[in-house]
Amino acid sequence: MIHIFDGAMGTILQQKGLLPPGYCPELLNIDKPEEITAVHQQYIDAGSTIVETNTFGASPLKLAHYNLSDRAREINIAAVKAARVAAGDKAKIAGSMGPTGKFIKPLGDLDFEDAFENYKVQAAALAEGGADYILIETSIDLQEMRAALLAAKEVTNLPVICQLSYSEDGRTVTGTDPQTAAITLDAMGADIIGINCSLGPEQLVPIVKILSENTEKPISVQPNAGLPQLVNGKTTFPMGPEDFGKWAPKLVQAGATYVGGCCGTSPAHIGAIKEALKDVEEPKFKPLRRRLMLASRSKTVVVDKELPTVLIGERINPTGRKKLAAEIKDGSFLSVKKEAMDQVKAGAKLLDVNMGVGGIDQAKAMKKAITEISQLTDAPLVIDTSDPEVLEAGLRAYPGRALINSVSAEKERLRTFIPLAIKYGAAILCLPLTDDGIPQTAEERIKVMDIIINEAKKAGLKDGDFLLDGLVMTVAADQYACGHVLDTLRFYREKYGYPSTMGLSNISFGLPNRPLINSTFFAMCLAAGLDAPIMNPYDEQMQNALMASMALLGKDPNGKDFSTNEKNLSVPKKAAVAKEVDLTPLEAVKQAVIDGNADAMPELIERALADNIDPNELTEKALTAAMNDIGVDFGAGRVFLPQVLLSAEAMRSAFNILKAKYPAKEGEGKGTVVLATVKGDVHDLGKNIVGALLENSGFNLIDLGKDVPAEEIVATAIKNDADIVGLCALMTTTMTEIDEVIRQLKESGNTSKVIVGGAALTQDYADEAGADYYAQDAVIALNIANDIISK
Amino acid sequence: MAIFNSPFFEIDKSETKRYAGLRKSDFDEKLIDEACDLARLIIHPTGNWEIYDYDDKTQTIASTPPFHIEGESIKKHLMGCDKVVLLAATVGQEIEDKITSLFKEGKYALSLILDAAATSAVEQNADLMEKAIFEKISRQGYKMKWRFSPGYGDWPIEQQPEMIRTSKAETIGVHLTESLMLEPRKSITAIIGLYIIEESCTNEAEKHNCEACDKTHCLARK
Repeated sequence: MIHIFDGAMGTILQQKGLLPPGYCPELLNIDKPEEITAVHQQYIDAGSTIVETNTFGASPLKLAHYNLSDRAREINIAAVKAARVAAGDKAKIAGSMGPTGKFIKPLGDLDFEDAFENYKVQAAALAEGGADYILIETSIDLQEMRAALLAAKEVTNLPVICQLSYSEDGRTVTGTDPQTAAITLDAMGADIIGINCSLGPEQLVPIVKILSENTEKPISVQPNAGLPQLVNGKTTFPMGPEDFGKWAPKLVQAGATYVGGCCGTSPAHIGAIKEALKDVEEPKFKPLRRRLMLASRSKTVVVDKELPTVLIGERINPTGRKKLAAEIKDGSFLSVKKEAMDQVKAGAKLLDVNMGVGGIDQAKAMKKAITEISQLTDAPLVIDTSDPEVLEAGLRAYPGRALINSVSAEKERLRTFIPLAIKYGAAILCLPLTDDGIPQTAEERIKVMDIIINEAKKAGLKDGDFLLDGLVMTVAADQYACGHVLDTLRFYREKYGYPSTMGLSNISFGLPNRPLINSTFFAMCLAAGLDAPIMNPYDEQMQNALMASMALLGKDPNGKDFSTNEKNLSVPKKAAVAKEVDLTPLEAVKQAVIDGNADAMPELIERALADNIDPNELTEKALTAAMNDIGVDFGAGRVFLPQVLLSAEAMRSAFNILKAKYPAKEGEGKGTVVLATVKGDVHDLGKNIVGALLENSGFNLIDLGKDVPAEEIVATAIKNDADIVGLCALMTTTMTEIDEVIRQLKESGNTSKVIVGGAALTQDYADEAGADYYAQDAVIALNIANDIISK
Repeated sequence: MAIFNSPFFEIDKSETKRYAGLRKSDFDEKLIDEACDLARLIIHPTGNWEIYDYDDKTQTIASTPPFHIEGESIKKHLMGCDKVVLLAATVGQEIEDKITSLFKEGKYALSLILDAAATSAVEQNADLMEKAIFEKISRQGYKMKWRFSPGYGDWPIEQQPEMIRTSKAETIGVHLTESLMLEPRKSITAIIGLYIIEESCTNEAEKHNCEACDKTHCLARK
């Protein structure tokens, strides 16, 4: 059966003049229920088989805008009653729950639990009033949808419709694509999955199609009447009933069985849908092949025998890693975050997260890790723990569909973990272990796996919810350990067709040259059907084995990726040519400065000194000369600031070596520069760059830092008999302080030359302020300083 | 009205290069990668926005108390708008501290590029906020002007305190120094004009470009 929803409610109430400014639209359910009933009646007369209650903004958090939070229950019950008067038993009633208007942490400042409690109140009242469905709608954030769905499931037994709103790029505002929404909400037990608002029917057809390809649940769709326009100061929607109705069969064809309207639709639009669908048959139910799909907020990863191997990164695990453990303990998660990013870069598609540190609140740590990693990468997460409390903390915080690592056949594990997998829509990694220990042979492991899968299915898990662990033992202790694993992997695939996983490195425990054993074993397992190894993605030998295996097993057709990978080419594409070979030692130093090659500097300086080159000559003819060349190239736009800075780093390296060997004598050096960012200004990167260039060109630099009072600059210049005072200000609000410094300098009778610079400054300003020079950039400042000293 | 901590996974490398003054030059990509990766780890992107009615005749924002905007360029920019979004965004203090400490260690180039990455991040953060705002306002038929900040054109920076007040920047830890600088340094405040679309409604916001700016020798000029 195709169900027809209603259209917009607020527009009609507004047209009737029922919504004066500042009045809460949901309060009409109590103040004028007959008006609400009348709107529902219009829609039912037009053909709606489901009407939505006037409760879009009737959750306590939304009602708070009108100071009506404490009347939430009353308002929601009244809304359902008003709808029932019109619907009777001719139409069903969907209790509408709209967004809170806030973002849930970490995206915003609303706590997940507060959102959850908010929706609990509303869902319970809607059920109490007698609604037939709970409709969570117009949500732009999957996490808010999760909070509302969990709340609805907790306090009612009603079927729940989950409708997100997508932007024109096909994602919700917080980045969720329809595939990810479908698999996450389906797994969490949504009964109907859909879309409403934001876009017109034309834009929603492809989204409906993606939903229907990723869930067997019914699909609902309620488009706007086209994209909104403002005409004479009023928002209008351009699509008339007839045009709108024409799209209904296309939406049904794409997979929707619940169709209605959102903003800008009227009873006439609903009438047009009814008319357009009158001869349209309900699409036939097509069962999907349920594959293992995991999702972050914005990305779905499929693990399947027909797809490339999926690496599960194992590095976010404090076991045996003191630094990581200490960081988790003191609440700094920098290494955790770094491991997440680096593993994804190295090719991990899923990330295992283990917070097994003794003596800490692991549930809290897991929640924090899951939250932080989700903000940093879109790789779906694997929650790795043996503690149900830690597991629930992670699952609850996770805005997607996670994998649980792991569920064994141990009674306590089955009892506590499987209900959490169902509640939060997670998949499970099944480990063939029992309370009696580890089964040795493949046949024994299959028996244990049967127990786990049967228990899980009895509780409600389905195909597509399982990843089976091959369970690797040590070959040094059991000569057949490898054979058992390979048999197990083959059996898994033949018997269940589910994908498989395992941690590999245990196989080589106690043997020398473990990397060789590991990578050879890895290749064998891939051939036997391993789909998702849990491993260290930085391990090059393992990555090489994977790359070769993909080519051999036909997952990299004709070895295309293999052939184009630079690692496999006998001659590297770009041979590293050592330029300095043909250069004299002096030229080599100069070239290294120009190239910004600080690393090469110690060796090159040694070579030059060994060649009896005088340190002064080296400074003059190699270092300073190089900086001059760079300055010219910079001025001509041939090189850019970061390159100049790399050269300065090379200079720094050279000077440090020379200084260590030949400590400077009193009075040596080019001259003294006092440098400062003036009072009130906190920008000092530009000033620092000038300082770096001066210091590494032989000037004696006194850098006073930023936000420096005029008095301090003047006193320092006098005390050190400065040759040059360099002043920097970035903004128009702070550059007037430059005038003040110059005034005080002159007043004191100091004769040092003043160079000024900074984003807001100009030559004109510098002239007016009485500065001797204006430097537009750091290289010019250096040139000016050199000129001053040589005069 | 809405605190929003943007989830984004990568810092835009080409923008980072542009802010570092590298444009199309051939430069060690490894250093750019290193800076962008490091930046992503230590930024704390967050923002807040508020929507107000706006009178384009008197250049007044209907906040309490009202905020009168000064300057011809902003006046012109907001012509035809009857609502405005006041936005504040930041990537936090940690990256600023790292930029400083790296420079002190003599890692000049990395420090400079990290600074550029932070600029890129704060802009990306604001872009993502804009996307979330657009979702809300487009439903009412509004379209957005590109974001405009004090200091652009002849809009005096002295209005920054009003920007901080009306964007409620303090809720995300952004404040002003006595000389009207934003702290943390990698923060922005901006105004976005909302205007009525009479005919079609598409998300093709008017493009902001470097030509509108009079800083002709800016490193990052496109």
